[in-house]
Amino acid sequence: MGQSKKVRKVKMSKMAKREERWAWLFIAAPFIGFLCFMAYPIVFAVIASMSKWTGLNSLVDNMCGLGNYIAIFQDEKFWKSLGTTIIYLIGIPIGMLLGLLIAMGMNRKIPGKRMLTTMYYVPVVSSLVAVSILWAWVFNYDYGLLNTIIKFLTGQHGPNWLGDEAWVKVAMIIFMTWKGLGTSVILYVAGLQNIPKDYYEAARIDGANAWQSFKNITMPLVSPVTFYIMITSLIGGLQVFVEVQVMTTNGGTNYSAATVVYYLYDKAFSNGQLGYGCAIAVLLAIIVFIITAINFALQDKWVKTMD
Amino acid sequence: MRRKLLAATLSLAVVLTMFTGCNVQMEDESAGGSATASSESKTEMVGTGDKEIDVLIYAQEHEKVVYQDLIAKFTEEHSGEISKVNFEVTTQEEYGAKMTAAMIADDLPDIFYVGPEAVRSYVDNGYVLALDNYVGEEVDNLWPAIKSAYMYDGSQIGAGSLYCLPKDLSCFAFAYNKDIFDESGLAYPDPQDPYTFDEFLDVCKQLTKDTDGDGEVDQWGVANADAFGMTPYLYGNGGHFLNEDYTKVVVNENEAFKEAFKYYCDLTAVEGVTPSVEQDTALGGYQRWLDGQVAFYACGTWDVAAFMDKNTFPYEWDLCGWPVGPSGDGKSTAWLGTVGFAVSSKTEHPELCAQLIASLSTDLEGQKALCGETTGKSLQLPNVMDYAKTTFKEKVADGTIPYANNVDVIFGYIEGSDTYNGIFTETTYTYNAEWWDIFLEGIPNVKTGKISAEDYLAEVQPKMQEALDNAIELQNSATK
Repeated sequence: MGQSKKVRKVKMSKMAKREERWAWLFIAAPFIGFLCFMAYPIVFAVIASMSKWTGLNSLVDNMCGLGNYIAIFQDEKFWKSLGTTIIYLIGIPIGMLLGLLIAMGMNRKIPGKRMLTTMYYVPVVSSLVAVSILWAWVFNYDYGLLNTIIKFLTGQHGPNWLGDEAWVKVAMIIFMTWKGLGTSVILYVAGLQNIPKDYYEAARIDGANAWQSFKNITMPLVSPVTFYIMITSLIGGLQVFVEVQVMTTNGGTNYSAATVVYYLYDKAFSNGQLGYGCAIAVLLAIIVFIITAINFALQDKWVKTMD
Repeated sequence: MRRKLLAATLSLAVVLTMFTGCNVQMEDESAGGSATASSESKTEMVGTGDKEIDVLIYAQEHEKVVYQDLIAKFTEEHSGEISKVNFEVTTQEEYGAKMTAAMIADDLPDIFYVGPEAVRSYVDNGYVLALDNYVGEEVDNLWPAIKSAYMYDGSQIGAGSLYCLPKDLSCFAFAYNKDIFDESGLAYPDPQDPYTFDEFLDVCKQLTKDTDGDGEVDQWGVANADAFGMTPYLYGNGGHFLNEDYTKVVVNENEAFKEAFKYYCDLTAVEGVTPSVEQDTALGGYQRWLDGQVAFYACGTWDVAAFMDKNTFPYEWDLCGWPVGPSGDGKSTAWLGTVGFAVSSKTEHPELCAQLIASLSTDLEGQKALCGETTGKSLQLPNVMDYAKTTFKEKVADGTIPYANNVDVIFGYIEGSDTYNGIFTETTYTYNAEWWDIFLEGIPNVKTGKISAEDYLAEVQPKMQEALDNAIELQNSATK
């Protein structure tokens, strides 16, 4: 094996060598990028997470071992923000279900299909800050669209969506579901179009009704798409920050809207606790890794392919 | 064709939404009382010399123009020495992150802002230069309150070397809408004799009403933003958040504080003389004040230009004192604010940098522009005390500088008097303001009556103490 490699190297033409050099160059660009912008910051964050680093003081002189991690486990606000982050994840299955239903509706010849697809996708490509501001107005207590509709329909004043500790979570889930719907729809439409029509015809001949076709053909065969959406949504859902920053004041009443990443930012950049912020970031990365690993481990049990 | 037209329309909508996002964000970033947006920019002023100076500050658009002119003037005067001044302006929100990045990279600009709360950390870690050997008698004419905020002797603020020259000295006074008083037939507040808590509540009750007869209150006595408009009630009753050496939270022990906090929350929860918490989340107090819905509202020195602009605030108004509580020293109290120009200890041109910040801080032409004499828009009080007390006041009196008549209220807070007192909030003296943020977080629940003021103070004090202990630990670690 080693010999054949050697022989091949010797036989390399000038052109092949040049091509190989170019190949290395192409490989090097993303690799160096990874080292500079991913590996180094990760290693640095892990080291900084074991210090009382403030940005002003010396990181090396203020190492504290696992002190930050121990403090985080006793930190009420961390658990509160983690709990809120998990509550927001409720929006993921709701969004996926809605996305699949809409995609099924669109997976047939209907007029205005392209326009509908574009409409659903507009929130995904729009500025998150802009749509957050728009939705803050939708949720406005006195002048918001939602409360105006509620008042019109029921005669009662709607809730204080962004000011109440409980309703703010509902508001955020609604917003996040809306924001992510476009991606789900597009991916599900693509997934549905890949399912051969023969399967449905065969099922119909065998006497399957619509629900049975959905349960036994559609659901299993779009499961790779479901898996992909779930993984990316979970990772994204655990990193929510902008909407909380824009739509609430200081993380909401009693910090009720704050997510882990919001808390991390608050600690690191508002309160100058960069070491502590790094520790939260490391813990969040571990949580994301574990959840993703569990998902991958369980995928064989429910993710089907057409093979 | 139709499909193309549709695609083009939707694309345009998406692009417009994106741009809307950018614009709104910029306006949002300028929050803090002023109506004008600020943006990030870099400007170069070129000379013929060989010394390059980097300046990084945050500023509103109109302030930026003034400082740009001052730096250009300085560069021209020192063109034989200066090769280039890189003047970078960022937003207040971005500033902290930029400075942190600069410190980590060991690449601080030569000149930058430092607030009084950060002087200790910056000095202890050797980031800023002591200015004693570089500045002259021009600093003798600065307000004593601001100068002392930037003096540090290695253990205490207020003594020792001078580390910054002030960009400004601001104060958060109280304002009232004269038109609302006229309509209600009430006498204007007396600037020489601020209301007591009881008198203030009584006046607010008379001013809170349903003006259009639809059964809902649409005019209130006062609107209070917790983050800015609460402390004058607390301090004006002799209350304090922390003990004298800023190591212990006393909100649940200091009776004057408890009394004033309850009074403050009851204005909303019990008396209903402010917009409710829900109404406040729908439309903030500042907007309601501009819309003529509230009779009293806070007025920072930076707000004056906006309030004097009839397009922004089409009402007659004036300044008055914050109400005075029964347990204090009888003085109406407002908080003071400032930020200062500092020179990096690693600059290669300490003398030149010190001269430049002296001109930014004390140059009379610059001060005239910022206080409104030459621009007609008062953004701050003059830093130069003599000018402030003489020409500035005269120009206010003769109308050259558009300002509220009772300008002495602001001077009272800044200089101190038998009636007025101005103090820096206690966050100025702690490493960070996390303990203060924790206090603010739950106030809406007190104002909606979900929890009593007493229970809230008992509940929040230990949490605040924990955050304060962290801050003290970080402060101590900053010297390592």
